[in-house]
Amino acid sequence: MSLALTMVRHRFAAFAGTFVAIALGVAVVAGATTLWASSRPQAPARYDACPVLVHSPSVGTGRDGYPEYRSWTAGQARMLAARLATLPGVTAAVPDPAFYVQRLAGGRATGDPDGARTDGHTWSSAVLGGYRLTAGTAPQSPGQVAVAGMAPGSRIEVLTTRGPATWTVTGTVDGPGFYVSDTAAKALAAGVRVIGLTVTGDPDTVAAAAESVVGGEGTVLTGAERDSLEEEAVTRTRWLGAQLLIAMVTLGAFVAVFVVASTCALSAAQRRREIGLLRAVGATPGQVVRLMYAETLVVAVLGGAVGVPLGALAAPLLAPPLVAAGLEPADFAVSAQPLALAGSFLLGVVVALAGVWASARRSSRVPALDALRDAAVERRAMTVPRWIGGVLAAAGGGGLMAALPALPVMTRTTAALGSAMLLLVAAALLAPVVIVPLVRVVTWPWRRGATGMLVREGTLTGVRRVASTAAPVLLTVGFAALLTGTVATIERAAGIDEAAKLPAATVAAPDGTPGLPAPVAAAQPGDYALSTEVLVTIGGVTSGHQATGEDGVHGVRLSRDLRDRPERVPVAFADGTTTTLPVTGTHDGPADLVTLPRELIREHDPAALADAVLLDGPAVPAPGMKVLPAGDYVRERIDVEGRIIRIFLLVLIGLSVGYTGLAVANTLLMATAARRGEFTALRLAGGGTGHVLRLTTAEALLTVTAGTLLGGAVAAVALLGMQHAVEEELKQAVEVVVPWGQSALVALACALVAVVAAGGPVLRARSR
Amino acid sequence: MTITTIGTAVELRAVTRIFGTGTAAVTALDAVDVAIAPATFTAVMGPSGSGKSTLLHCAAGLDRATRGEVVIDGVALAGLSERAITKLRRERVGFVFQAFNLILALSAEQNVALPLRLAGRAPAAGEVQAMLAEVGLADRARHRPSELSGGQQQRVAIARALVTRPAVVFADEPTGALDTTASREVLRLLRAAVDRHAQTIVMVTHDPYAAAFADRVLFLADGRVVDHLPGPAGASGIALRMARLEER
Repeated sequence: MSLALTMVRHRFAAFAGTFVAIALGVAVVAGATTLWASSRPQAPARYDACPVLVHSPSVGTGRDGYPEYRSWTAGQARMLAARLATLPGVTAAVPDPAFYVQRLAGGRATGDPDGARTDGHTWSSAVLGGYRLTAGTAPQSPGQVAVAGMAPGSRIEVLTTRGPATWTVTGTVDGPGFYVSDTAAKALAAGVRVIGLTVTGDPDTVAAAAESVVGGEGTVLTGAERDSLEEEAVTRTRWLGAQLLIAMVTLGAFVAVFVVASTCALSAAQRRREIGLLRAVGATPGQVVRLMYAETLVVAVLGGAVGVPLGALAAPLLAPPLVAAGLEPADFAVSAQPLALAGSFLLGVVVALAGVWASARRSSRVPALDALRDAAVERRAMTVPRWIGGVLAAAGGGGLMAALPALPVMTRTTAALGSAMLLLVAAALLAPVVIVPLVRVVTWPWRRGATGMLVREGTLTGVRRVASTAAPVLLTVGFAALLTGTVATIERAAGIDEAAKLPAATVAAPDGTPGLPAPVAAAQPGDYALSTEVLVTIGGVTSGHQATGEDGVHGVRLSRDLRDRPERVPVAFADGTTTTLPVTGTHDGPADLVTLPRELIREHDPAALADAVLLDGPAVPAPGMKVLPAGDYVRERIDVEGRIIRIFLLVLIGLSVGYTGLAVANTLLMATAARRGEFTALRLAGGGTGHVLRLTTAEALLTVTAGTLLGGAVAAVALLGMQHAVEEELKQAVEVVVPWGQSALVALACALVAVVAAGGPVLRARSR
Repeated sequence: MTITTIGTAVELRAVTRIFGTGTAAVTALDAVDVAIAPATFTAVMGPSGSGKSTLLHCAAGLDRATRGEVVIDGVALAGLSERAITKLRRERVGFVFQAFNLILALSAEQNVALPLRLAGRAPAAGEVQAMLAEVGLADRARHRPSELSGGQQQRVAIARALVTRPAVVFADEPTGALDTTASREVLRLLRAAVDRHAQTIVMVTHDPYAAAFADRVLFLADGRVVDHLPGPAGASGIALRMARLEER
């Protein structure tokens, strides 16, 4: 161990690459996990004053992994609340119907559209958040509202599921949301899903008592369980953020292993003589392995010691951009996460040891005799484990890529990332096979000149070295081309897919709102559909379904994909009622979609909104609505999804390019520094510094070319595979989008870094 | 398989070493028999490609003989695992190479202590210092190899080879990279180790002047021992034999 310490201290330059890779990796992982761990579900603030909550019964877990609930009807909720109110220790039991209210300013909707879906509440539920009137009186009748920040008597423009309205403020409340009278809420809200209990005394005792009252009619939540009541919009936002953070952690760890492994491999190759000497003076293979592990451990601990505080300090700085990008809820705050930091530190150590594993094993097999040999001529570049690893990684990556279209849209980026990693590892492992012919072809035009000859022979005899330095370039270019290409291709395919569904010339679409209220949509000339969620029982299994309310539908239409369609199905609506409907037909959509009569949805779900109206006449202007060509509408919708994906891409590519750029510089710096003797010999043979520089530049460019071509090839193969898979799924031709621009930019950046890094040691050596 | 051979530090019996296979096969050693008595200084000479380095590597257990038997300090190497050979080398063999093979990260003192450390034992108080004093570098203990001259580095290497009191020290062209003054110093140290501490030393060299410090000179040509000169022989006599060998 003390030997390892001395080694690290003496040759810190050789370990600098590993150190920086680990420090940055740990910083990225520490920052991302801190953000991730800080982003926990939290019960909405409007339940702050009720330690016990009762939720309507769950019918199981839906396809998205979240539980699906049946609503209570307003009547059921009232009766249950009345029974709960009689329990000892309960001061109040209040149903909380939440509904859509959005403020209009100058005819335009304001605020977050998704959040607005649950901004409306009954005045009686204000007590659940402990909210009180600071002025005025409670709302009594429809058209009256209590709201924060408005003086009693003032009037506000709002949009509800009933369309635009002007409300009179009767009271000023000290909490967020719009509070209307219970009678007014009835017309705006569907069923009830939450009853809040304010209590005196021990919440657990009350919860136990409530449990016996509620029975199978609901779920009693207390303590941390209350956090599962987080608003769906908030959950979705946090989920998106978590996807990015998970991808960052995965990528950070992966690139760190990759960089550490390639730097360790290179430095082990360079230290062959030293290791041979150690073996000659009596170090056993085990001692050599332990020495290398110990060295790496020292470097990893140092890297972690720098990376952890770096990540911890960076995390709070990243919170506002994440909130702004819509990847974390507005009230997101970063808290200290010692466990995440400790985990990141540990991960750094593990990653470093994993990275050094292969080269330590290789080094331990260095015969003692190598101490006496001067030759830098390499052994076989390809070994059996290298072949096996390369082929396995290629197969795994290919398989995952093929399965890509079958995965949900948001998982695709992560899956594409995973498969890209595997394919790139495969390419890096198999690189030596390709480098020899590649070098021969690329250097062919310059074979006559001295520099050309030196470069050609230098790279051909040092295939492993070239493979080591080309690996980060391969990784960078491959990542950039593959990720941007994949996403662009899927996006374009999705665009074609959606446009095919929209025949009308112009569309009335929501403008800053979650959807069009039914009366607004109904006023437009043209067809529209209302969407909501219902519970459908088929074959004894009740599960959540997306429902589209269309004109001219009678009974219920089920998916054509559904086998054994029953004649009649019970449908439970958002208002808590269940109606058994005859099955009258089929639709082409997925199995979890049902088509229902539009009027039925309007009747049972006042909160249902229309996505858009396909216009066949001049639109009737309404606030929170805009009219635009169908093409633009589709593009806009794709852009919303695309914006998030683009943020993902930007972060991930930025991360990988920054990281691997460092690796490119590091490996070339190491490789050139180690060849000083060779360059001295070249000088003695009559070459000037210019000659040496030309040599290093040419070699660096050759390395970058090899890496770029290999990375590009991996990306091309993967993109073609994906194109095929997407075509299978959509049953139509899909054009592959090749990101020439981005790829070229990344390759150029690599070349620049490589030339500078390779030339640096030469110039420094001259100045001595 | 352990054969105890009393009276020799190293013994090679019919050792053959062939590199490569088939038509590319090169016989570097051809059934060589050599016995090295304890507390002697043996020089091995021969033209380039005569097999003298291979002889040294096989005798030291750095390389395995294709056929034949190598016995170091009474232990036969055949059949020993790499680990066992490493251990044997650590305990009973010392090395001095042409290029001063010191670990650049370690100070002179640490380099000398390295074999002891690798054997898992802490150097006794003053042990390393005494060894450095022996080679005249007591005042350079904390210097790194880069801060020492070539001759000084080689003396550190000798101290490192001697510190474990090995059964035999192998020196491969120890003066090859040194100037005359430094060479003489190094050879005097090796001679002193034999005379004062009864150290056994086998040295490969092509320099008759260096060989003249030995008790016995073996001449190798084409993988065979073709001649030997017993007793301290003059450099000129050795040079004459060499010249004759190279003419063959």
